[in-house]
Amino acid sequence: MKDYIRSVLDVVAESPFVPLEKHARKGVLAVEKLAEAMEAYCSGNQALLDERTDEIDVLEHEADKIKQKIRASIPSSVRLPVNKKDLLSFLKQQDSIADFAQASAYWMTLRPCKDLPDEIKEGFLELMAASLKAARMYDQLVGELYKLLATSFSKEEIRETLQIVPEVEKLEHDVDVLETALLKKIFEHESAIGGAGVCHLMGLVERIGGIADKSASAADRLRSMILRR
Amino acid sequence: MDLLVIAIILAGLYMAWNIGANDLANAMGTSVGTGALTIKQVIIIAAVFEFLGAVFFGKRVTSTIAKGIVPIDMISSIHPDIVVLGMLAAILAASFWVTLATFYNLPVSTSHSIVGSVLGFGLIAAFNGTISFSDIHWGALITIVASWFVSPALGAILAFLIFSIIRRLYLHRASDMPAVEKKFLFLQLITGCYIAFAHGSNDVANAVGPLSAALNVLGVTGTEVPLWILVMGGLGMVIGMATWGYKVVETIGSKITELTPTRGFSAQFATASVVLLHSYSSLPISTTHTLVGSVIGVGLAGGLAAVDLGVIWRIISSWIATVPIAALTSAIIFVGLEVIF
Repeated sequence: MKDYIRSVLDVVAESPFVPLEKHARKGVLAVEKLAEAMEAYCSGNQALLDERTDEIDVLEHEADKIKQKIRASIPSSVRLPVNKKDLLSFLKQQDSIADFAQASAYWMTLRPCKDLPDEIKEGFLELMAASLKAARMYDQLVGELYKLLATSFSKEEIRETLQIVPEVEKLEHDVDVLETALLKKIFEHESAIGGAGVCHLMGLVERIGGIADKSASAADRLRSMILRR
Repeated sequence: MDLLVIAIILAGLYMAWNIGANDLANAMGTSVGTGALTIKQVIIIAAVFEFLGAVFFGKRVTSTIAKGIVPIDMISSIHPDIVVLGMLAAILAASFWVTLATFYNLPVSTSHSIVGSVLGFGLIAAFNGTISFSDIHWGALITIVASWFVSPALGAILAFLIFSIIRRLYLHRASDMPAVEKKFLFLQLITGCYIAFAHGSNDVANAVGPLSAALNVLGVTGTEVPLWILVMGGLGMVIGMATWGYKVVETIGSKITELTPTRGFSAQFATASVVLLHSYSSLPISTTHTLVGSVIGVGLAGGLAAVDLGVIWRIISSWIATVPIAALTSAIIFVGLEVIF
């Protein structure tokens, strides 16, 4: 319906920060689903794994759509309180979180988990939990954004928000340590797992670790975006 | 001749209605968007203060529209009849252009339209040899057009400063943001009254300026703008707000939720001050364009998540179109009326 108004208040453009928060949420939800998928994988519940993989697929697709919308919402005429390039590069890292969750789920469906030593299963569950922790911490960081905007970037809020960044980075480092330990264990059992198995598990470690990597680098870009305003 | 005066009154009332329904609603929309006022409260406040502004402070700009651009007294001493025809042509042309713009959602200003259409009459009077081209008050016209550029810029600067001060004093010290915003919710009640008053004082002229000139020439009124004309214009705008404007307020209010009370206060306070200053200086300006300037000011001060500067070009192109189109339409209608009467 036409409004029949002579309004020029289109000058207030839609905020990209609201969908940005939603986008982060989708990514973390995908990682949470992945943690459930991992449990299903380790316990050999193929049906549940497939179900979770489909759900992650949907979340990743939704995140992609939000990402497109954010990109489309900042043409050159729109001014933001932050650098647009910084925002886009931060968005790209954030988007990779859901991508890695999806890649991990796909990777698990490639080859069933059979005859894996319990030690390795536990290692994967532990790695997954650590990655999820990093992603959740990252989500908390993004959740602080609205406060920054509400106070129009007060020094106090910036300080509080940026305190979370090193925490994400620390959790990411924890994941790195777990990754190395798990890879070591995988090689210790290489004869039991077999060459193809080792290859598959290495890929899985890499992808789950990628979630924490991307959470940390998105947090890092977020910090640059806030500080380089 | 009575018939012509009635026609000018009706066209003036239509113009007033349109101004109330659109421009006043635009100015008040920010109060609803922040939740400072309910739609009912907005209509009541807008009605009361718009009316007060029009009646008690609308005289200066009305005088400018009536005789500040075209030397009406000079024309009336030669051909009193054509002034009435010319003013009817002017108000009809402005109404027509504003209606068309509203239909296509173009950001056209009623002030620019009426200035253009009154100028159109002046030009045709000069073309017919009633007055010479140099008799048109070009100096005043240039000042008016310059004020159309100055007012949004002034709004932007003032809003930038006000928001920067609020940010430093309140936002950056706040431990409890919602409490700060709540405080400004109340202040927005005051700026709502302020902006309605300012708007009434400036925009009533767009509706009753030509009427004032016509009645003056006919000797119905003295040289002063009579109170009842301003009352009529004020009422017309209030009715426009109550019968159609509330829908516009709702639409705008729902679109600009980004403007929180601190931001809304800054933009409204800056706009109202700039508009009132221009009313004092007898300059007809666009309240809506000034508000856009003020919102941009708040945005550039870091108050908004996203500001679309693309609007600026739409406004400027509508300016450039409005004056010639309104002038030409007014001249054509005038020639047509001259043939009939």
